[in-house]
Amino acid sequence: MRRVCAPAGVVAGVLSLSGMASVAGAAVDPSKATAPRMEFVPPPPGSYKLQNIQSVADAALLDSSGQPVRLSALTTGKITLLTFFYTYCADPLGCPFAHTTLANLRDRVRGDGKLAGRVRFVSVSLDPTHDTPAAIAIYGKEFTIDPKFDWRFVTARRVPELLPVLHDFGQDVSVEMDENGRATRTLHHMLKMFLIDARGEVREIYSLSFLQPQVMFNDIKTLALETG
Amino acid sequence: MRIRSRLILNFCIAAIISVAIASHADETCNSPYMSGLIKGQEDFVHVWTLGVPGMGDGWDKLVTIDANPSSKTYGKVIHKISVGGRGEAHHMGFTDDRKYLWAGGLDDSKIYVFDVGSDPSHPKLVKTIDDLSAKTGYAGPHTFYALPGRMLIGDLSNAADKGGVTGMTVYNNKGDFIAKYDMPATTIKQVKGDGYGYDIAVNPAKNALLTSSFTGWNNYMRDLGELMKDSEAMKHFGNSMVMWNLKTMQPEQILAVPGAPLEIRWALAEGQNWAITATALTSQLWLVSRDPQGLWQAKDVARIGDPAKIPLPVDISITADAKGLWVNTFMDGTTHYFDLNDPQHPKETYSKHTGSQVNMVSQSWDGRRVYITSSLLSKWDKKGKDNEQFLRAFHWDGHELTPAFEIDFTKEQLGRPHHMKFTANPPRVASLTGAFVR
Repeated sequence: MRRVCAPAGVVAGVLSLSGMASVAGAAVDPSKATAPRMEFVPPPPGSYKLQNIQSVADAALLDSSGQPVRLSALTTGKITLLTFFYTYCADPLGCPFAHTTLANLRDRVRGDGKLAGRVRFVSVSLDPTHDTPAAIAIYGKEFTIDPKFDWRFVTARRVPELLPVLHDFGQDVSVEMDENGRATRTLHHMLKMFLIDARGEVREIYSLSFLQPQVMFNDIKTLALETG
Repeated sequence: MRIRSRLILNFCIAAIISVAIASHADETCNSPYMSGLIKGQEDFVHVWTLGVPGMGDGWDKLVTIDANPSSKTYGKVIHKISVGGRGEAHHMGFTDDRKYLWAGGLDDSKIYVFDVGSDPSHPKLVKTIDDLSAKTGYAGPHTFYALPGRMLIGDLSNAADKGGVTGMTVYNNKGDFIAKYDMPATTIKQVKGDGYGYDIAVNPAKNALLTSSFTGWNNYMRDLGELMKDSEAMKHFGNSMVMWNLKTMQPEQILAVPGAPLEIRWALAEGQNWAITATALTSQLWLVSRDPQGLWQAKDVARIGDPAKIPLPVDISITADAKGLWVNTFMDGTTHYFDLNDPQHPKETYSKHTGSQVNMVSQSWDGRRVYITSSLLSKWDKKGKDNEQFLRAFHWDGHELTPAFEIDFTKEQLGRPHHMKFTANPPRVASLTGAFVR
């Protein structure tokens, strides 16, 4: 599902646009936004094989201390869950939801001794112009409270250095423009999370409908069982 | 000026109040986790069109029609792109981000990937995938169903004997082959599978993937009149549906559904436990629902027209709230509407003769517009004056279909129109580079 993340300041403008939709006869779905439903018992870890979806291409990024870091160093050697975000995203079912889901998973992983030191989370900013290393360090603080858990927040030096990463992961991102053709602080992107094995192969992709923590946890354990 | 708020999900408020995962159905028959469902007025209808020798360039092509009443070119063909071959164009499906449209050929097993995100008024052919049979042994890519970052394809046939035994194929969004899954021909819970395939539909909340079954190349590429006289060949149609575990991609139940069950639509609202299909040869609606023990059961719940006359139900389109269903019957050229408020007892409440032959039916998300095309298969379409080839658009007020516009595909030298998909002009956006790099 395509998520549209906007800071609270633009909501009023968005409301008026929504009114335009009504004029146009658009039928707004009255259903409330809901978190992903899970009405099944997930298959046990190791009882299935995750597909080999694609390899991850390397890229040069910056970590939250401003040091250069290779993406390949963050997507190999451990089981990695990678997602994209930006710090001022306010969509309750966008980036904040993704990070809440990851925090839930982090706690599950920490509670499983067999996964100790084998799992890493990576959050890549979609907006290097705003999300400087200092900005992502502040944003990531609440998620990186456990120094034993490997959760990296990274950004790019410039937008052109980020674009190959977005292209490789199939993350289409665009920026809403205002009436005068100026960029707003609203980004359009489809929320996806990528499960990557220790060899750097994407083995599962979760869009919003599939952000089911128990299933994701079982997938992590399934990958862990592949290598013993 | 076109109102840019058509893509409701392009706005944060819509994202907040609209359903995020339970996008109940199409517009209305797309993958439920595809982005940017068009909940208002669509701008364009794309029609995957079979080439006809001697008609125009004779190639299969993607035809784009302006569907916005406020446009100066409303109801007109505004773009067409030929693929340089004639391979029995049939179905197509969007990628999960709705930027690309994958379209398949049932005869040559080629898959064409069109960029419809950059400028939906002028789709561009960006990739041709021609390794499906080499990678899988299957043939006839039919249903294209978006999974996150991937395309799940339901195939119809196989390259070895061109019969109906087939499977499903998975490619990533870059067009690289990932995996194949045979349709089960084994016995599961006392029901034997036939190995045939057709449509695929996912219910993510239930980890459920439901498939149906049709027939192989030997039959769908054969003249229909001849085929129906061949009793042996008529035995080679699917009689089953399969419920798969989506995560493991293993079949868990085979359901006996005689008469070639075709298109599948899930009711995806919370609390709903059913999907519906129509059987082509026996002309019935079948409900697949979960019993109190948690097993899926298939049951015929309504007749479509007079089954004795083989009206041949082909396509169905479910309303966004899953309380209504459009059904096209090819032979008698009739469009039916069924009330699904009680899915165990659907009631036909409306029907209209909409052409000498009608096949696909697609309604808008808001239910106010219904689009119909005429062609079933190149060898199954009617002959002579009954071989009308058109797209007809209708307004629907809940009581009557009234014509909006029509494209005569023969007069315009386009071919045989089959599957339709909607797009809308993108909102006022810029790329990251355009917005943030000065």
